[in-house]
Amino acid sequence: MFIAFFYKLKEAGIPVSPTSFLRLQKALSTGLVASLNDFYTASRTILVKSERYFDLFDQVFAHHFEGAEMPAREGVDLDEAIQALLQEWLRDPQVLADVLGMEAAEIGKLSPEELIAYFKARLADQKGRHAGGSRWIGTGGTSPVGHSGYHPGGMRVGGVSRNKSAVKVAMDRRYRDYSHQGPLTQAMVGEALKRLRNLVPTGPKDQVNVAATIYQAMKNGGEIEIVFDRSLRDRLKVILAIDNGGWSMDPYIPVVQTVFDYARAQFKDLKTYFFHNTIYDVLWEDPARYRKPRRIDEFARYDPETRLIVVGDASMAPYELTAAEGSIHVEERSGRPSIERLAFLAETFRHCAWLNPMNARYWDYSQTVKAIGRIFPMFQLSLDGLEKAITHLMQK
Amino acid sequence: MTEDSPKPHFSGASRYVLDDELASIVNISMALEMPLLLKGEPGTGKTMLAHAIAENLKMPLIVLNVKSSMKLVEALYQYDTLTRLNDSRFGDSQRDVSDIAAYIKMGKIGQAFTAAERTVLLIDEIDKADTDFQDDMLDVLDQMTFDIIEIDQTITARHRPVIIITSNAKKDLSDPFLGRCNFHHIAFPEPKVMRQIIRVHFPDIDGDLMTGAVAAFYKLRELDSVEKKPATRELLNWIRALRADPDFHPREIEKGALPYLGVLFKKSQDFARAVAATGRRSLR
Repeated sequence: MFIAFFYKLKEAGIPVSPTSFLRLQKALSTGLVASLNDFYTASRTILVKSERYFDLFDQVFAHHFEGAEMPAREGVDLDEAIQALLQEWLRDPQVLADVLGMEAAEIGKLSPEELIAYFKARLADQKGRHAGGSRWIGTGGTSPVGHSGYHPGGMRVGGVSRNKSAVKVAMDRRYRDYSHQGPLTQAMVGEALKRLRNLVPTGPKDQVNVAATIYQAMKNGGEIEIVFDRSLRDRLKVILAIDNGGWSMDPYIPVVQTVFDYARAQFKDLKTYFFHNTIYDVLWEDPARYRKPRRIDEFARYDPETRLIVVGDASMAPYELTAAEGSIHVEERSGRPSIERLAFLAETFRHCAWLNPMNARYWDYSQTVKAIGRIFPMFQLSLDGLEKAITHLMQK
Repeated sequence: MTEDSPKPHFSGASRYVLDDELASIVNISMALEMPLLLKGEPGTGKTMLAHAIAENLKMPLIVLNVKSSMKLVEALYQYDTLTRLNDSRFGDSQRDVSDIAAYIKMGKIGQAFTAAERTVLLIDEIDKADTDFQDDMLDVLDQMTFDIIEIDQTITARHRPVIIITSNAKKDLSDPFLGRCNFHHIAFPEPKVMRQIIRVHFPDIDGDLMTGAVAAFYKLRELDSVEKKPATRELLNWIRALRADPDFHPREIEKGALPYLGVLFKKSQDFARAVAATGRRSLR
């Protein structure tokens, strides 16, 4: 019964399992389900396991039993790098016009949808002919927008929200094939991070070591001597530095958030810092990067066994990394190039890794990613990359 | 409760306002003998539901408060090695030292399994524990058996307990875990339901006070950037405080004076924001 309904739920993207469907059949046979209302409640509580899908369930239910229209599904799986690129271009029609080889005025006439279709056509084109042209995919070095306080004036192609919806429309699911890994869920992050553990005895001696106690009692000729141990706790120290600045990290916020949430739950001794694009003299303890600076020099005093994990797309203008006064924030000018600072951190903490949410296929197109990759072992922020990073971090 | 007695049916309790939907979910879960997982904001009455079920069905309630460092075996049973060692050395206890079973103490889940009657087992804040704990525990609850390794004995539940699991949704629960539970998300009550809830707790409440307090409460919940929104529990305490103040008159709320905001907002930043939003004169 209701097999069609079950498959409709599945098609709509609600994770329903056959076991739960059988359980629903069992519930129907108990006689507790007497009306459509009861069926609604019963099927939802048994089949749907998260309130996130309640809304979707309601829609499917209404569609199936009352013939309501099914809303269009959201397509949001554009390859992140392309999406970032698109959004960047959409901010400045002139750059876009240059890249597409069109007049800015012409672009203004196109709707965002048309623009994206055109862009996709050009992308396919470009892949065929010059794979590797830094002009096309390299956001890092050649990007002329965004940094140094340059704000595109004049004409814009639609407002922010229009851009977003256009991006959404354009992203039919064939782009999905480009990303080899599915979305990183918290459970997956958890499984990967679980291996990052360093159990050491800590705390009060409150665990009875039965074997040692019996041994001691025997040695004492039957006089009991209770032996206590400290319990094993995870004492791994972890420093997590997150690039939370600028729009270039925007597409990756959910995945970084996931890692951060899990790390906070997993590690007892976790320090989180923030930076924008790259690290200069300070890391910030507050996400606004404003109130609580911590000087990089002080990090030398930390336990060198601390695991340093940097999360960032490592994409920026090359001078930000190499110039002595590279920071785009005036108050951060220090006379030391960021690249030296990064090298200092990598030397201080020999167990370190840089997690880059950008797809690894695009790393070669960005000078700064390559430069940082020479300092920090860099891994893609996917399940695969995360596991490699953990393996690397746990090496003796 | 014996096997041939009529099926228990849950229909609310004296201190708990139950909507029909939740009642039928509880009944279906009991009929299917499945654990019911409740998610929702703090203060929406997840824990209270288990108390209400226990009261309504007249079953004993066993509460397992999950802690982050908890191991599953602690929830099942404990083998008291120290007492046994002590007894074997001094030999002055009534227990038989050669009988290990005498030194096994049941944990909360063990108690629910071995109880003489059907019980309500509340597993509170499951999300605090790590995923291994959750999955292993669900195996035990699925099979309704566990082994005591020390005496090689299998404990089988005499009566399948009614299992209520709560989660504050701090972390996502694993798929295998979710697969073994029924699920319900308790939404924050509507003002109408909230007034019923208040009536249950304060049957003699002044009508003006209730209307004013509920209206002010929902307005305060909508304040931007409040970290910990006040929940039902806070509202009830607030009303209790307002009623306890002999100088307070319900009409003051209509005028915009909201005393005792500290009862509603527990974090200093939130409190400051709430005070700023309601105007300085509410500070007493």
